[in-house]
Amino acid sequence: MSTTLTPPEADVGARDRAIAEDKAADSRAKRAKLVHYYGMPLFLLVVTIALLLYIQGSELDSIETRALATDVQLDRLQQHLLLTGVSTFFVLLLAIPLGIAATRPRVRRYAPIVIGLGNAGQAIPSLGALALLFFLFRTIDWLPSTGTIPVVVSLIAYSFLPILRNTMVGLDQVDANVLEAGRGMGMSNRLVLRRLELPLAVPVILAGVRTALVLNVGTAALAFLFGGGGLGETIQAGFQLNRRPVLIFGAVSVAILALLVDYLAGLVEEFMTPRGL
Amino acid sequence: MTDQTNDAKQYDKETAIGGDAQVGETMIELRELTKRYPGEETPAVDRVSMEIPKGEIVVFVGPSGCGKTTTLKMINRIIEPTSGSIIIDGEDVTNIDPNHLRRRIGYVIQQIGLFPHITIEGNVGTVPRLLGWDKDRTNARIDELLDIVGLDPSVYRSRYPKELSGGQRQRVGVARALAADPPVLLMDEPFGAIDPITRTRLQNEFLRLQEELQKTIAFVTHDIDEAIKMGDRIAILKEQSHIAQFATPEEILTNPADEFVEDFVGTGATLKRLKLTRVRDIEVVDDALIGRLDEPREDLQKRLNESEWTAMLLLDKDNKPARWLRAPDFRHDRPAAELGLPARAMVEKQATLSDALEEMLVGSAGVAIVVDGRGAFEGILDVDSIITSIQTMRDADAEFYRAAKLIDPADEVA
Repeated sequence: MSTTLTPPEADVGARDRAIAEDKAADSRAKRAKLVHYYGMPLFLLVVTIALLLYIQGSELDSIETRALATDVQLDRLQQHLLLTGVSTFFVLLLAIPLGIAATRPRVRRYAPIVIGLGNAGQAIPSLGALALLFFLFRTIDWLPSTGTIPVVVSLIAYSFLPILRNTMVGLDQVDANVLEAGRGMGMSNRLVLRRLELPLAVPVILAGVRTALVLNVGTAALAFLFGGGGLGETIQAGFQLNRRPVLIFGAVSVAILALLVDYLAGLVEEFMTPRGL
Repeated sequence: MTDQTNDAKQYDKETAIGGDAQVGETMIELRELTKRYPGEETPAVDRVSMEIPKGEIVVFVGPSGCGKTTTLKMINRIIEPTSGSIIIDGEDVTNIDPNHLRRRIGYVIQQIGLFPHITIEGNVGTVPRLLGWDKDRTNARIDELLDIVGLDPSVYRSRYPKELSGGQRQRVGVARALAADPPVLLMDEPFGAIDPITRTRLQNEFLRLQEELQKTIAFVTHDIDEAIKMGDRIAILKEQSHIAQFATPEEILTNPADEFVEDFVGTGATLKRLKLTRVRDIEVVDDALIGRLDEPREDLQKRLNESEWTAMLLLDKDNKPARWLRAPDFRHDRPAAELGLPARAMVEKQATLSDALEEMLVGSAGVAIVVDGRGAFEGILDVDSIITSIQTMRDADAEFYRAAKLIDPADEVA
């Protein structure tokens, strides 16, 4: 029997190699984690510094100086965040409950229609969607045709569908056996929803929220069309005045904001995904 | 024809080996239970009536699509019956709040359906929490149950389902169903999705558990062998859940009610009956030559040489079988714990003869070691005793068929 075994020396060597491999895999995983958590903020910091250095280094004329004044830009940033935040808040408030309602057994057979509409809605370009809503607001007298409200409404309409769709898909993909086990133990429908369906759908729903947020940051850059403010104004100014530093500053700052929001939403997603999944 | 089978059945009841089938109190009664899905012409389940005695395992078995699962799921009204009624422990539960009903009935499904985002303790504690037990009571119960199903609470309590193997998950599923100590358990192919070796082990464990718990169990399977092994009674179902035969496994094997049952049970009835007889039912050698791991090897050698046995079984300090020793093994200059061959092929008393035979063939020692639930030595089972019991069975069968033949002519006259 002992003759078929490998000599002990070889064994020891193999074990050492295995330990070394384990260690290497371990440190690789650690490094991946570091990159995962700190890579994006670091990158954004570098880009921000580069942008500021570029502006500092350019010889700005009076128009450019005025357009890029710190308080003006901070104002626009604030408007931009407000537009994104408020519209996302209302979208969550509307689309998630609707998504839950649309997946209840009684109306479930209509779910494919809703999802189809959602997909079709997503295919309309954001500028087109905004323009349509803009005309809608123009033609109805008692609605304000400029300012924050039409912009927020447009953003809600535009990011409504990804969240609705993800809520429905998220709830749909929950293992039917888990739900049957829950019901079989005497959980009411409400409890099954709260304790099983929603927690298990969280990752997919949050992915939808993340998409909607990033979408809203980008689409809010078009708010200037309604006179809604935001960082889009800077881009617009850059075009109209034909000033390259202004244009670059506006465009890059929107991009940085979108990436930052995406990163933060990703952290939230990770944090809120239940353990064990 | 029907008269003949009825007579034969009666004959069998009187003479069946180990036929301890006395009709006790009814725990679950189905009355004309029917399920008709909207838009379908024939009902999925058509007027099933059945009584399930208290403390027994009744297995519903039949080809796929025969409505056995639908019938089972109507008992806890996961599927609402179209008509008919369900009586549990004397109470008509057909129209009571289904959620309250289900908290009183344990439910195990094939895919187990553990909640993946909740720890094992959370999973097992689900029903106690729904029933509003206080924390201490729930916690104590969780520990107790995990112990019962053979999972160390200190290790597994705070794990998540994905960190467990298939067999372990199934144990948690059983623990979860037993949490609030329900008198009734519904099991839908509970061991269906598990590898054969683990399945056999879980089946044996479950039977041991049932001996203590004495639950009333409705059990669905498509596997006739599992039905024979697990069931105190078997209901063989045809399409629309029509009952082809409802009887003890012995009766079904020796006296199938019709061709359908005969076909379904299949050939090799003697082999199947090996699955009916358990190790505890036949004689086990309990005076085998036993040694201890910590005895001096000279003593072991002396005893082996003086005995008539060709081999000696060494037990460790917990009485668990450790190694087989034969006389030539003493030529090697090694401690007793490394001499001879490791002891394999261990079976519990609940195991069937078929399990034991399989273990013997795998273990290549020609004998199986009988151990108790904790793995401590109880005796030795050899091939001869199994062959003897097959012989007995065949003799009994022959007698039965002779008797059945005697009935035959009379039947023709009538």
